[in-house]
Amino acid sequence: MNQTPILHVEGINKRFGAVQALKDVDLSLQSSEIHGLLGGNGAGKTTLMNVVYGLYKPDSGQIFLRGRPVTINSPRDAIAHGIGMVHQHFLQINTYTVTENIVLGTPIPHRPTMDLTQARDKIRALSDRFGLEIDPEAHIEDLPMGARQRVEILKALYRGVDILILDEPTTNLTPQEVDSLFESLKLMVAEGMSVVFITHKLREVMSVCDTISVLREGRRLLTAPRSELSEEEIVRTMVGSEEALEDSMLFSEQRRDEEAGIVREEIVLDVSDMRIADENGVLVDDLSLSVRAGEILGIAGVAGNGQQELAEGILGIRPLSRGRVRIGDRDVTGLGTRQILHLGVAYVPEDRLQDGFLPTASVAQNLILGAQRRTPYSSARGVLNRRAITETAVALIQRFHIRTQGPEDMAATLSGGNIQRMMLARAFAHPVRLLILHNPTSGLDIPSVEFVYDLLLSHKREGTATLLISDDLDELMLLSDRIATLYRGRIVGVLERSAFDKYTIGRMMSGVEAHD
Amino acid sequence: MTEAIVLKRKRGPAAILQALVPYLLAVIAAFAAVGVLLALLGFDVLRAYSTILFTSFRTTNGFIQTLIKWTPLVLQALAFTIPLAAGKFNIGGEGQLIVGGIGAAAVGILLAGLPLPILLPSVLLAGTLFGALWVLGPAWLLYRFGINEILTTVLMNFVAFELIDFTATKIWPDPAAGHPTTVPIGEGGYLPLLLSHPPLHSGLLIAVLVAILVYFYTDHTSAGYELVATGANPRASSVYGVNVRRMFLLSLLLGGAIAGLSGAIEVAGVHHRLIEGMQSNFLLLGIIIGLIAKGNNLAVPFVALFIAILEVGASALQRTMMIPGEMVFIVEALILIFVLLSDVVRRR
Repeated sequence: MNQTPILHVEGINKRFGAVQALKDVDLSLQSSEIHGLLGGNGAGKTTLMNVVYGLYKPDSGQIFLRGRPVTINSPRDAIAHGIGMVHQHFLQINTYTVTENIVLGTPIPHRPTMDLTQARDKIRALSDRFGLEIDPEAHIEDLPMGARQRVEILKALYRGVDILILDEPTTNLTPQEVDSLFESLKLMVAEGMSVVFITHKLREVMSVCDTISVLREGRRLLTAPRSELSEEEIVRTMVGSEEALEDSMLFSEQRRDEEAGIVREEIVLDVSDMRIADENGVLVDDLSLSVRAGEILGIAGVAGNGQQELAEGILGIRPLSRGRVRIGDRDVTGLGTRQILHLGVAYVPEDRLQDGFLPTASVAQNLILGAQRRTPYSSARGVLNRRAITETAVALIQRFHIRTQGPEDMAATLSGGNIQRMMLARAFAHPVRLLILHNPTSGLDIPSVEFVYDLLLSHKREGTATLLISDDLDELMLLSDRIATLYRGRIVGVLERSAFDKYTIGRMMSGVEAHD
Repeated sequence: MTEAIVLKRKRGPAAILQALVPYLLAVIAAFAAVGVLLALLGFDVLRAYSTILFTSFRTTNGFIQTLIKWTPLVLQALAFTIPLAAGKFNIGGEGQLIVGGIGAAAVGILLAGLPLPILLPSVLLAGTLFGALWVLGPAWLLYRFGINEILTTVLMNFVAFELIDFTATKIWPDPAAGHPTTVPIGEGGYLPLLLSHPPLHSGLLIAVLVAILVYFYTDHTSAGYELVATGANPRASSVYGVNVRRMFLLSLLLGGAIAGLSGAIEVAGVHHRLIEGMQSNFLLLGIIIGLIAKGNNLAVPFVALFIAILEVGASALQRTMMIPGEMVFIVEALILIFVLLSDVVRRR
């Protein structure tokens, strides 16, 4: 700890409009360490690292590299100084190969012929060295999320960085991919690199980081070696509340059944023999399930095994090749999405940027998306009631703690977690019989996750049927009455709550049927 | 989470004024750039400025000319901004104007004997329908096959140029005219005048009405909300139950109808016949107006008024100072560029 830190920032301040995003932040990164930057949404983690990466200009403060003051005005400067950053959402050219994406923006030795043999060899060597498995010839569009992220990391390594910043790198990864990412990070620091790991997931920092810093509301409140910190101490700092954490659902292994209420007889959602196919092949096949009033049916599975297609099939967003969907006593097969939503169905899609929000519209407009023809937002003749829309928006912004300057604010200014809150607010704004939620807590901080779980359980008590699709097994096991596991578009098995077991579900997720 | 959420509405005169600042700067910068050019060419810069800006206000005639110019400009701009709200680009406004004009002229000539209460609405309606019809092909190709509407709407313009030539030289040519022109429509198809000296036709009122209706539609109805939502994120809109392909189709048809109506107004209000070239450069100016207004349908009429003032100034420039009117086109283009530039600067 006594050596000069490889990266040191001092007194960083940054203000966006009325929001002081960073308040006088100091932070030191030692060489050969994985430094976990932990904090809730809007804590300033990403903003701080964007300052280091030259994307934002700090209002005041100084960055030191290996003890020397530097000015970083752009990502290009940052890379020249050996700093690379992998963002939560990456910009890649889908139709280019991995190699082409990586060399883009670097000097190419054989520009007229685009002979990329050298580059390819270098990428192969890097990928072997750090266990970042990738086919340099593959096209980006054919790769799963985990591989695309490896491309992004290789992009930075290819440019010779020795400080790598990862912003929420595990958000889109499966458990296996997370493990292999962590192995690669350990190999990198073993070779002398330094890694800053931005996350809000406590378990991840505890498993991989050497040093942990906690940010809250733009201030750095804590930095210490992992060995000196307890989980509870970290959570307390992150949340900043003095209330007893023992009450928190996140730390309980079991859902408290008196809160959960009972599953009723009435079947709310009934899917029979669903098959969805498009030009990419069969995405959902031979799928039947039903959800009763007051029941939470969990859907487990590695991402991309038909979860989104199942949800979209139920909602009429995708046409069914076969099968029927009933909601209550109504056959909704072939009905338009709007009619289905108006039956009291709410949907929170997985991909919030693509499927969940209107970037150039206001927060208020976003909040009524899907309900724009309902009273009181619209009269019977289709004239909008601006006042009702604004009033609802103000109420939802407060109830769901959406961090925004107000209902007229452009949605594009919201952070990922706040977009998620906005989608949840939209789903819970109206009485609902059937909830279809896909990774509803992705990108949320601990108190917000807690809030969503409470909401789910209180709706369950009141008789709402919930189809909960999640990549987070802990979440599913905590909340569900039954868990069905999807593999390649089919249900491999359904477990009752009493039979929940992480390893059994894990096996089903890789396609092995349960034997009991 | 603990911080209080600030809830405030950005409204009121101060906010509007603040929003206008970049526009004002863009206008000043554009005039400065052209001023340099004029000075280098040896013209009296200040006199040129005052000609461009104040011709519309010096005489009644200048002001009337500005209003007459404003009418097709605002309609062309709306024909562009309505599809733009849904994220689609209608670059076929002049084709739609021409074909709308042909429809209006056809009805006006064929039914020339009918009285005004019947003929005038028929003329205007024919123009509107023909304009919509002209964009139906591109709209349907987009709806059915997802074919890029920019290409198809542009190409339809060229077909329209041939069509107006054919109509004006082969079907109803006016042999007395030195330029491809049809015979006049029946007097019952003339738009009544609001003022007779100098003449101001009532197409102005139609344009005002259309502009109000369009603003009401896009900003105050649930159908308009769906249009704007489609433009903001078609994928998310469809996930939440908006039929986005239908919105694409509808927005283009509306745009075409309004462009067609502007053609009918040119025929019924200004020329009383079909004249080849009557589309002027309304399409380009309409697009510039739409883009300067950033698709905001409340701003479109005001931007259109400003551009109309510049256009009237341009003709005066040519008449009185022998400065090519195209100089004003440079001003307009520069204003657009600077407005777009101000966005980039503000994002930093």
